[in-house]
Amino acid sequence: MRHSQGTEAQADPLAVRRTRVCATFALLAVLLLVAATLNLCLGSLHVPLSDLLDVLAGRDRTSTVYQVIWSIRLPRLIAAGLLGGALALSGLLLQTFFNNPIAGPYILGVSSGAKLVVAATMILVVGSSGVLTSWMLVLAAFVGSTLAMVFVLVVSQRIRSASMLIVAGVMVGYICSALTDFLITFASDANIVNLRNWSQGSFSGINWTDVATLTVVVVPAAAFALALSKPMAAYQLGERYALSVGVNVRAFRVGLIALSSLLAACVTAFAGPISFVGIAVPHIVKRLLGTSRPLVVVPASFLGGAIFCLACDLIARTALAPTEVSISAVTALFGAPVVIAILLGRQRQVD
Amino acid sequence: MTAREEGQAMQPMLKTEELAVGYGASPLLAGVDLSVTPGQIVTLIGPNGAGKSTLLRTVAGELAPLGGVAYLSGRRLDKLSDRERALELSVLLTERLRTDLMTCEDVVETGRLPHTGRLGILSPDDHDRVRAAMELVGVWEFRTNDFMRLSDGQRQRVLLARAICQEPRLLVLDEPTSYLDIRYQIELLGVLRQLVATRGLGILMSLHELPLARRISDWVVCVKDGDITMQGSPEQVFVPEVIDALYDLEPGVYDATTGSVELPADRR
Repeated sequence: MRHSQGTEAQADPLAVRRTRVCATFALLAVLLLVAATLNLCLGSLHVPLSDLLDVLAGRDRTSTVYQVIWSIRLPRLIAAGLLGGALALSGLLLQTFFNNPIAGPYILGVSSGAKLVVAATMILVVGSSGVLTSWMLVLAAFVGSTLAMVFVLVVSQRIRSASMLIVAGVMVGYICSALTDFLITFASDANIVNLRNWSQGSFSGINWTDVATLTVVVVPAAAFALALSKPMAAYQLGERYALSVGVNVRAFRVGLIALSSLLAACVTAFAGPISFVGIAVPHIVKRLLGTSRPLVVVPASFLGGAIFCLACDLIARTALAPTEVSISAVTALFGAPVVIAILLGRQRQVD
Repeated sequence: MTAREEGQAMQPMLKTEELAVGYGASPLLAGVDLSVTPGQIVTLIGPNGAGKSTLLRTVAGELAPLGGVAYLSGRRLDKLSDRERALELSVLLTERLRTDLMTCEDVVETGRLPHTGRLGILSPDDHDRVRAAMELVGVWEFRTNDFMRLSDGQRQRVLLARAICQEPRLLVLDEPTSYLDIRYQIELLGVLRQLVATRGLGILMSLHELPLARRISDWVVCVKDGDITMQGSPEQVFVPEVIDALYDLEPGVYDATTGSVELPADRR
C-alpha cells in the first residue's frame, strides 16, 4: 500500500489493476500454449500428444510424424504466430495514429497495396529470372504497403471525418485488389495457382527460410513498437497534449506509420492479406486488460494476435479438410462482428 | 504596475520580444512583447479570432514563431528540445478529447511522462504527485472513473490536474473556464491563485469572462485586430474606455464597477 493514509474501504485500485493485467497475461499464455499444441496435433495426420513430445524432443527422426511436424506444421505454426502478432500490432499502431478504433492495415487498404506490388513482382520476376527470395517479397510488400499508406494519408489530410477515412481506405483496397486480379488473370504461368492461393490469404507452404526472414523483420519491429509505448501513452490524449509532454510528434508519427506498414507488409508477403485481426485483437485485449495503457497493450496485442491467427489457421486447415479455407475468410468471420460491436459501443457512448 | 515591477527583479518564465504568430506566412498577431514572472497570472482578453489561441499555441511550441523571439526561463523557446520545453511549460486546451478505457488517473498520469524514463513507467513518487494534483483540483474521488463518463466540467478539472502534476514553471491555459459552471469557475480561480502563491509558477491564459479575468489577473493583455492594443494591471484595463474599444461596445454597456457587460434593455 503506497498510501497508508488511504481512507478508501475497497482495495487499492492500482493493485486491482495489476492483478487484472497479470491474470490477462497468464490467460493469454495458456491460450497460446493450447492453440500451439492443437495446431501441431490436429490435421490430416492426427498426432497424439505423447508422440508430439517425442518428436519435439528430437526422437523418431525417420518417422512421418517427425517430417510433418518439423517441416510443415512447426514452421507454419511459428509463422502464423509471429504474423498474427505483427497484424495485431500493425492495427494497434494505426489506431493510435488515426485515433480511430476501426483503423487497421486491411481496412485502410495497406494490405491490398502490399498484395498488388507483391503480385506484380512475382509475375515479373518469375517470368524473367524465376528466382524469388523471401526478402524480395518483403521488400515488394513494403513498397506496396507504403504507397497505399501514403495515399490514405494524403486523403486523411483533406478529410477530417474518421468514417470517411475508413471508406477511402476500403476504396484503395478495392482498387488494389482489382488490379491484382487483372494481373493474375493475364499472367499465364505455372505459378498462377500459388499466386491465387496466396492472394486469398493462407499460411500454407511456409518453410524455415521464410520463418527466418519474417522473424528477423517482425521481432525487432515488435520490440520497436514496445519502445514507442511511452509516446503512445502521451498520444492517447491527442497530438497537442503529446507535444506538450515532450513527444517529438512528427518523428513519432513517421515511426508509427513506418512500423505499421512494415509489419503489415511482412504479413502480406508471406501469407497474403489477412483481414480484421488488426482491429479485433487490440480491441478484445484492451477489454480483457481493462486499460488501454500501451506498455501492457502492445505485448498483449502481440500475444493475442498470435493466438487469434493460430486458432483461425487451425479452423482454416481442419474445418473442411482436406480443402483449406482461406485464412482471411476465417478471420473475417470472427473479426468483423468485433468491428460491429465497436461501432455499436461508440454509438452508445455518443447517446 | 507594482506586480510587474516586482516581477522584473526575478527571471521571467516567459518573455517575448517582437513575437509574430500565425499560420502560414502572414502573421495573425505581431509585435507581441510580454512577460510572465514567477507568481504572476497574465490574462489575454479580446474578441474571438484576435489571435489569443494562436499566441498560446506558439508559446506552447505548437507553432513556430513567424518573427521575434520567445524565451522560457531565459532560454530561447526554439532552441529547447521537446522534453526540455515539457519540463518548463504545460498546457490545458479547450479541445474535446476522446479516450478509450482511460481512467481519470490515467489521464492525469500522462502529465508525469516528461519526468519518466524510456518506457514511461511512473515511480511511487510520481504517483504521489499525481495524487496531490488531483486532490488540489478536487478530482481524486473520480480517479478510477472512466474519463469519458465525466461531465465536461469534471473533465476540464482532470485535465487541469494533468497540467499541474507535470510541474512546469509556466502554465498555459486556453479558455480554462469553458464548460465550467459558475461554482467551478470560481473554484478554478482559487486553485490557480493557490498555485501561483504556493509554487511560484507563472500562468498565461486566455479568458472570455471579463469579471473573472478582472478578479484573478495580475496583468491583462488586450488583443485585437492583430495587435496588442494595451496591457496593464486590471485597474488600468478594466475601465469603460478600454473595454468598449476592445470589444467595439456602445459606450455604457460595460459596467466598470461590477466588471460585467450589460445588454441593452431592448435586446433582452
